[in-house]
Amino acid sequence: MILDWLLPVLISVALLLAVAGMLKRISLWRAGQPEKVSFFSGLMAMPRRYLVDLHHVVERDKYMSKTHVATAGGFVLSMVLILAVHLFGVENRWLSYALLSALVLMFVGALFVFKRRLNPPSRLSKGPWMRLPKSLLMFAVSFFIATLPAAGILPENFGGWLLAAVLAAGIVWGMGELLFGMGWGGPMKHAFAGSLHLAFHRRPERFGGGRSTGLKPVDLTAAKLGVEKPTDFKWNQLLGFDACVQCGKCEAMCPAFAAGQPLNPKKLIQDMVVGLAGGSDAKFAGSPYPGIEVGKAEGGPNKTITEGLVSPDTLWSCTTCRACVEECPMMIEHVDAIVDMRRFLTLEKGNTPNKGAEVLDNLIATDNPNGFNPGSRMNWAADQNLRVMKDVKEADVLFWVSDGAFDMRSQRILRSFVKVLKAANVDFAVLGDEERDSGDVARRLGDDATFQSLAKRNIAAMSQYKFKRIVTTDPHAFHCLKNEYADLYPEGQKPDYEVLHHTTFINELVKAGALSLEEFKGGTVTYHDPCYLGRYNGEYDSPRELLNELGIEIAEMERSGFRSRCCGGGGGAPITDIPGERRIADMRMAEIKETGAELVAVGCQQCTAMLEGVVEPRAEVKDIAELVADALIEGDAPVSKKNGKQAKPNADKRVAEEIL
Amino acid sequence: MQPDKQNANLRIAALVSVGKHPGSGRARRAEQDARAVEMGLAMAPQGLEVLHAGDPHAEALRAYAGMGLKKIRILQQGENADAVPALSQYLGESKPDIVLTGVRAESGESSGMMAYLLGEKLGMPVVTRIAEIVSIDNGQANLLQALPRGQRRALRVPLPFVASVDMAAAAPRQSAFGPASRAEMEAKKADVEVRDEVQASWSEAPARKRPKRLKVVKAKTAADRFKAATAKSSGDGGKVLRDKPASEMAQAVFDLLLEEGVIR
Amino acid sequence: MSDEIIRRDPRAEWIARNRLHPLHDAMQQAGAAETRGPSGLIRRNPHAVGFIGPNGIKRIDRMNGNGPAVGGRRSAGAAKEVELPLHKVENPDYYVVVVPDMVGGRLSGHDRDVIGQAHKLIREGEGAGAVLAVVFGEHREEAFDKAGVDRLLNITGEAFEGYTPELRVAALEQVEKEYAPKYWLLPDSVAAGFELGCRLAARIGERPATQAWQVSSEEAICRGAGGTTDITRKTPRLMLLAEECAEPIDETRHEVLPVELEASVSVQAVIQDCGQVAVDPNAIPLGEAEFILSAGNGVTDWNQFHQAAEALGATEGASRVAVDDGNMPRFRQVGATGTWVTARVYVAVGISGAVQHLQGIGQCDKVIAINTDVGCDMVKRAALSCIADSGEVMAELIRLANAYRQEVVENAA
Repeated sequence: MILDWLLPVLISVALLLAVAGMLKRISLWRAGQPEKVSFFSGLMAMPRRYLVDLHHVVERDKYMSKTHVATAGGFVLSMVLILAVHLFGVENRWLSYALLSALVLMFVGALFVFKRRLNPPSRLSKGPWMRLPKSLLMFAVSFFIATLPAAGILPENFGGWLLAAVLAAGIVWGMGELLFGMGWGGPMKHAFAGSLHLAFHRRPERFGGGRSTGLKPVDLTAAKLGVEKPTDFKWNQLLGFDACVQCGKCEAMCPAFAAGQPLNPKKLIQDMVVGLAGGSDAKFAGSPYPGIEVGKAEGGPNKTITEGLVSPDTLWSCTTCRACVEECPMMIEHVDAIVDMRRFLTLEKGNTPNKGAEVLDNLIATDNPNGFNPGSRMNWAADQNLRVMKDVKEADVLFWVSDGAFDMRSQRILRSFVKVLKAANVDFAVLGDEERDSGDVARRLGDDATFQSLAKRNIAAMSQYKFKRIVTTDPHAFHCLKNEYADLYPEGQKPDYEVLHHTTFINELVKAGALSLEEFKGGTVTYHDPCYLGRYNGEYDSPRELLNELGIEIAEMERSGFRSRCCGGGGGAPITDIPGERRIADMRMAEIKETGAELVAVGCQQCTAMLEGVVEPRAEVKDIAELVADALIEGDAPVSKKNGKQAKPNADKRVAEEIL
Repeated sequence: MQPDKQNANLRIAALVSVGKHPGSGRARRAEQDARAVEMGLAMAPQGLEVLHAGDPHAEALRAYAGMGLKKIRILQQGENADAVPALSQYLGESKPDIVLTGVRAESGESSGMMAYLLGEKLGMPVVTRIAEIVSIDNGQANLLQALPRGQRRALRVPLPFVASVDMAAAAPRQSAFGPASRAEMEAKKADVEVRDEVQASWSEAPARKRPKRLKVVKAKTAADRFKAATAKSSGDGGKVLRDKPASEMAQAVFDLLLEEGVIR
Repeated sequence: MSDEIIRRDPRAEWIARNRLHPLHDAMQQAGAAETRGPSGLIRRNPHAVGFIGPNGIKRIDRMNGNGPAVGGRRSAGAAKEVELPLHKVENPDYYVVVVPDMVGGRLSGHDRDVIGQAHKLIREGEGAGAVLAVVFGEHREEAFDKAGVDRLLNITGEAFEGYTPELRVAALEQVEKEYAPKYWLLPDSVAAGFELGCRLAARIGERPATQAWQVSSEEAICRGAGGTTDITRKTPRLMLLAEECAEPIDETRHEVLPVELEASVSVQAVIQDCGQVAVDPNAIPLGEAEFILSAGNGVTDWNQFHQAAEALGATEGASRVAVDDGNMPRFRQVGATGTWVTARVYVAVGISGAVQHLQGIGQCDKVIAINTDVGCDMVKRAALSCIADSGEVMAELIRLANAYRQEVVENAA
């Protein structure tokens, strides 16, 4: 029988070609910059990362999760068994039966893939990806029939040469897609690159339930700062780009894409793939960058990315909200790549668009983005009688005021928070004029030099004093202090404090009974998760608990929690101000309106500013600190409340229970 | 303005100083000097020499280099030295076609005399507060001079000349950290170093707040002073017109515009 | 002494008693506080004493009408111009030369301050000094005497018209030769004084004090380092003075004796003045513009808005919302997140006044609001507010501006 000798040959050839393609692909990645990874422990951890961490992300879409388990599981299993049965000729009936059932599993999975592809949503890429389910089916069916004789179900020579030829053709197609395509850039590339990407991920902390969101610092003495060409990326970043499955989940979540700004995270990653392999984006079969035609972009490993491959406007549209990263089933780091490329534009080219240059100049000259006199940082608190670290040297809590000190709207939030702190008798102090901008905006705009300078001076200022915790009302400063400053501490030193967002801190105070609050009297309330609090730092619960403490039942938006939509204010986006068709803040306010909320609670001054920038009529915007401060029952020390005088109904009940 | 062939041989010297941020008092690139460098880069990127007399280690100079300069030439001299003799000697030898300076320095005396003293020493005409060099033909430059409130005056002046660059000139390009940290600071001891003796006798202090001049009323009696003092405040404060025909309101607005002299 | 005889007027008395009489108010006003009672005694009505002051508070004139005029009653004397005493310098020992800017052909406030400073220096010094003002070209000033000019050197001639710094410096150099002034004082202004002063200083080799704001014959305090430091130094011969450096002259008149230069001034000028360039108000950078018409969310007819800006000759501005909605380009945005403006007159059409916007117009002198909402923050900020539909008011403004232009053209013809 022909197949008896043809099959092993076909399989061997396909495997050899696949391996050759993989080696070629690996050489493409190796053109990137060196980056230390723990090679073996990464490889060892890979299965767990795939089966647990990645699965958690995919599991959000139950349909796709099950489909993928069936298809991929079936394929991997059948591939192993095919090697055994057809290549090495192990003659074991049970093995053949196992192979058959694996192929059936794969076939069923592929059917669901096929069904998904009948009427695919716009976020999915078409092109070769439309071919994939057919290839999968072909692979499963061909091998199924080819295995039947080995299992003894069909006679050895069933079907004669005609069936053999048909099967051979089917097997060539199937293996062409699934093995050859894996090494040579077909849709199945994702399996090969993806598994290695998981093994050598640049942020291994993300696996096992961890979180890693801080940007990596730039070595300012390097010959080139930031990423100009694809080969300037770290090798494992290039590998990460190749892992993309073009599912478009990022596209569906990206606020800039929704606003019609010229950014599509999926297309960006695919353009990076075009860059690392060389060529044009003509074969890209997904949604384009809004307003930019597909097919015109060309790049190569050693060509400047922003000259011909990706427009700088695309990079500057990003709000660094991390919605794409959060959603990506392949755990690709879009934001890192975007900021890396921004770094080149800012640090080497001096091309930060619109007000970017001015803001950076101000940060350099005055330590705040608007060029205010740094000596006037405490003016907002002239009537607050705050203790300054310089005088007290020591306090339980360092209140990080942030640049909201210069903005009249944000000052209301700051005052409210101070009121809360005072009501709870917290021992706190501020840095006063020694505080500087956290460096968030500078860093997201790519100016890591200014970020590092600000951070180091802030660290030096903080190191003089003793405190246990930092509390701030600004999630951006919160993120920098918590996740990014540790890299910049002098050798041998580490931050020895805990950083908290004010909602977390107030929630603690309320739980400890240090505040007495009255019931919120007002209409429907919804809550907007700030990106830098939620996705960046995983704090979704404290604000909600706190609102519940106020007696508020939150009318949640469809996009909330880890799927919350950005207000449009992050990543320096309001500064670079890339035009789109809509404004992100308007879209967010529309979502708020859908809940019927009269008030939207936020935990970020930037969100407040963006949402209040929406034309009225709209929901009122209030920071949670303001809501709590409004609800404070003053002159009623929490101790006396325990004595059963009077308090808000909720607490009353609890107190009453205690007394009983 | 596009650098064209005509300007290929043009040689420009832009003089830069260490600026001072008005709010923080921190050293920075001076805004007007940066505009002078920008003008030079736009006119003749090849023939531009950026020149500073003073301390070669001043960090603020890097901010000029970050605009894309390969090097900055520094005539090294002491803190109390007068920059004019060193600069005029250097420029007398290098003979650039155009010398660009800021109008007034942001640090030190900021008298604004630099351009004029150089012009006098080098025997070159001095043009003040230029906003743009429009073109150069037949050894003559066509300039636009900045006047207050965005007005412009066209001037024509033969090369070589000294010009001070106004804030109305094209804003300087962003200074990038990478090129700034890599640019060469070519320091050379100034050939002449004249200590500024006059300045040594001055005393310097942070600026005191100047009292705003009050409306002085030369009234002979208390009643007159009383009237003068109260009349203003009662007339001030927002006047709100409502429920009137639009024409009447518009007339009131227009009268105010006329009174303020903004209708020309 | 017939007017000493008391004559009763029963009708007047009756009206005075009857507060409901239609003539009661008029009679009481006319008769002021004092009336003759029925018994012939003088009766004083305390309610009618005094007058309502400018603040709406009642004021009682204790001098009982013998003081100088208050209100309109005895204003005849006050209205008459007081003849100020004439200050004469017969044979000046020295001169203090002032070169005023003469913006628009008249002395500016800054010029008057500088002349005031000149007199202050003369008063502090010894001997009789005279203030010599050097004025170039034709002028339209009529009150040199009251400004404190003792001698006036008016250098006229076609050559001095327009922008002629080289010629003017040459003339001042000639003044230096002929008069050897004790001080040279110029306003440190963008208009002309700064440039002329620097040129002169470089020419005659004097080191000037610039931005001097407190000057005595001993020492001068000058702003240095871009206005962030005060330099105290010995008073030099040539000074460029800041605004409000001294009080202007207002209690004396001066002779304004014309003087002439002996030698004629001529110099080959190399800087050629090609005249002022017509600048489109919309080409003026927002931060520099003097008069801004700014549009916000309340503007619906954008063509009309552009017409209005053109008719009024205003630079266009916009609120953030107007920019976000794509009705105006981004560089037109006024406010803390856009451009901080310094306009003298700012007309806000349909802008309610977000905090950031109000921050951005903090330096504007006169704000005019046209808005439908009387309670909005912009109306609170504005010196004049029109609560009306912006479209109607703008239409009227366009009409008024065009009518005004027409009138000016007709008057000129």
